[in-house]
Amino acid sequence: MGSNKPLLLIHSSIKTLSLAENVNIMLTPQFYTMKKEALPLKYHYQAKKIAPSLFDGLLEEGGEYRYFVFKEGEEWVFIAYDPGKISLFLREKGISPEQVSKLFFAQQALDSFTGPVLLGEKEALVVLNDAVVVVPRTALAEELVPLAVDNSFTPSSGVVLEGSSGSLLSDKQTMIVAAVFLVFATMFFVEGWRYSHELKTGEGEMQRLLEEYPSLQSRIKRENIAAKYQTIDSMERKKREVVKTLAGMIFKGVTFHEFTMNEKGFKARFSCRDAKVAERLGTLAKKENFSVSKEAGSNELWIEGKL
Amino acid sequence: MNLKRYQNELIVLLAFLLLVTGFVYKSTQLALQAENAASAREAVSELKEVIALKKIWADKKISQKVDKLKILIPASKVSWSKKGKKVTAVYKGVNAKELNKLVSRLLSLPVVITKLDIKKTDATYHVEFKCKW
Repeated sequence: MGSNKPLLLIHSSIKTLSLAENVNIMLTPQFYTMKKEALPLKYHYQAKKIAPSLFDGLLEEGGEYRYFVFKEGEEWVFIAYDPGKISLFLREKGISPEQVSKLFFAQQALDSFTGPVLLGEKEALVVLNDAVVVVPRTALAEELVPLAVDNSFTPSSGVVLEGSSGSLLSDKQTMIVAAVFLVFATMFFVEGWRYSHELKTGEGEMQRLLEEYPSLQSRIKRENIAAKYQTIDSMERKKREVVKTLAGMIFKGVTFHEFTMNEKGFKARFSCRDAKVAERLGTLAKKENFSVSKEAGSNELWIEGKL
Repeated sequence: MNLKRYQNELIVLLAFLLLVTGFVYKSTQLALQAENAASAREAVSELKEVIALKKIWADKKISQKVDKLKILIPASKVSWSKKGKKVTAVYKGVNAKELNKLVSRLLSLPVVITKLDIKKTDATYHVEFKCKW
């Protein structure tokens, strides 16, 4: 946690430092602009939302400001700060942003400022009208004993200085990219779950059929039944097809005489009116891959085939 | 290594890993679904085929249906012999109309025709068939 780190009070006249460890930083009002308002707001996010409008015209142009909001009694405290400028100043003083764990504002530690805190040789930090302000040291009464800022001044909440992580991506970019990735990841997971669910639906139909026909539950039994009846089915269909085909060959000029069929094959005898009809019948039979035989000089045809 | 220094990259990397995991999960499920759906479809269609075949060729009412072939033609022309699940029938002197009716009905029955003889004598037909079920 930030509070475990040493707290360093940063003011404009601070000397260049050389830090061996990470620190928390408390900024004097020289680095921020503060406004206090008693607004009928219930939630912190509402206050944060209106913060930029409160500083309209108060801030230097060209700065990229961030806002920090907290409640002090019945009033909301709005703080505007420029992380870019703060980082630049810290670098000038030998503190790299990566060494900064958390950033606090002096106003947050209002109750801790029970006396003046000296800022260099000319200035001091004091509380005036419930606001932590910088005043010239000459304005301080001589009998006042100056305080030293230590870890007891560390407030409970602070801000992380942008760029303190040393990352190539800014916090905003990180949030956007991560959010996009997470949205897609969620979509993929949902889609995957849907596919796995649909998979179970397919199994459901099989289950329903097996429940309807419990005798077919065994795969071996199913295969035996299928093998037995498929053979019968195909053979019987073939027989019926043959009879149908031969019946179709009885056209004008063709007379049927006899037909015989057993498990192995069939044989049919037709007589034709003339050679032309006999030839046509023979062609038709050959088209069906039947064997055709005819006695010389006769118009009688034997059509036969195997099953 | 100071992880805090690269915390944003780590967050993005983590989100990206989740994205990749989600994609792999989805792709696996999709492939599994396609595979299982195909095998389930095949199994269901096989089962349906077995059910259909059983319904046709193991119909318990076949015997009664076959009996109707006996009364289709006037009894005087029919010689009928039924033993268990086998029938041997001889029809003598059936006309063309009766022949058509008889053959059509016989072919529509789910029975194994072991013998079918039809012989024309003048204007009538002599029919003999043997079937079993």
